[in-house]
Amino acid sequence: MMALSHIFSWTFVYDFIRGPMVWIAFIIFFCGVVFQVLRFMSLLKEQPIKKLTPGPGHFIYSPTASHLPMDRGKTGWFKKGWFKKGPDKKDANKKDWRVWLTLSIAGVNPFMTVVTTIFHVLLIGVPVFVLGHNILLDNAFGVSMVSLPENVSDFLTGVVIFCTLIFLFRRLFLDRVKIITSYADYLFLSLAAAPFVTGYLAYHQVFSNYKLLISLHILSGELMLMAVPFTKFIHMIYMIMVRFNVAGEYSFGNASKNW
Amino acid sequence: MFRKKNTAGVNSNEIRAILDEKKAKMKLSLKACAHCSLCAESCFLFMGHNKDPKYMPSYKFLNSVGVLYKKKGNVDKLDLGEMRDLVWERCVLCNRCYCPIGIDIPDMLALARRICRSQGVYPQYDRE
Repeated sequence: MMALSHIFSWTFVYDFIRGPMVWIAFIIFFCGVVFQVLRFMSLLKEQPIKKLTPGPGHFIYSPTASHLPMDRGKTGWFKKGWFKKGPDKKDANKKDWRVWLTLSIAGVNPFMTVVTTIFHVLLIGVPVFVLGHNILLDNAFGVSMVSLPENVSDFLTGVVIFCTLIFLFRRLFLDRVKIITSYADYLFLSLAAAPFVTGYLAYHQVFSNYKLLISLHILSGELMLMAVPFTKFIHMIYMIMVRFNVAGEYSFGNASKNW
Repeated sequence: MFRKKNTAGVNSNEIRAILDEKKAKMKLSLKACAHCSLCAESCFLFMGHNKDPKYMPSYKFLNSVGVLYKKKGNVDKLDLGEMRDLVWERCVLCNRCYCPIGIDIPDMLALARRICRSQGVYPQYDRE
């Protein structure tokens, strides 16, 4: 039996969080995601597609305006001729892309659209393509992915931290966000930012204790992965499952289910 | 905040039964709400009331269905009265609210209305 002093020793903790803990985190993450996806599939029910033809007595002129599943054809939302060229073209079947864009969330709230898009893409993209992680993969399994140059990933990490700060400032100072903010929001925002902040500090060796920072970096990353399927981070799975499967005005593809 | 509950006239078991019917969907949706407030502008009542945050779709469902699930149906008439104002006075169920994550907000508010109605709390326009 291992002595207690050994278990609480620094080397043991360090070896544990960079060894078995990584496996535990990834297994919990993948099993949790699979479980939640299967749970979603069991909750969603197929709905028959109704073909709505425009004409007298049909109030729902465009099926996109309803919660009914719509027949978008085989090519789905990439279908040609979805939009008309300009407002002067009087083809009522097609949307005017300028009107569509102004009314969409990107038109109403362009700043937040850009910030959240950049944040979420980088949140997933940077850890996958950062050089250090790929070297670890190469050491462990002999395989690695394309990696970004170090100064690029360094800059992108800064961008992620900057985006989190924007979110934090919205939470602190914008009335409409403040009114629905709970303590959990700050907790999960900091949990999302923690791997990036600690990674940034460790890379630049801001503090002399590199080993402590890199341990915190690994630990926060593992905590974040494990939290994804069971906490507020579930919006990562929810968004994909709902918008690609549940029929509605804003669904992607041939979404035809309901719940 | 910490007032004594007066649960007279409220059947918590009945509320809980209705809550359990849609538990999976509602709990997932409440959990998935990132509190981003991007749904605000999609509500015409929000736009029409000088962008008052109390008209935000997310504020409305978090403080009606969200509270009901949090308290597991143990609410009193005063809570339900506040919810009545939220889901009838500040929402007309026009189904126009937009959630970037895809949360079905009208369904949540409809559930809150159903629960209020089951306890006899609803606007009585002829008497008010």
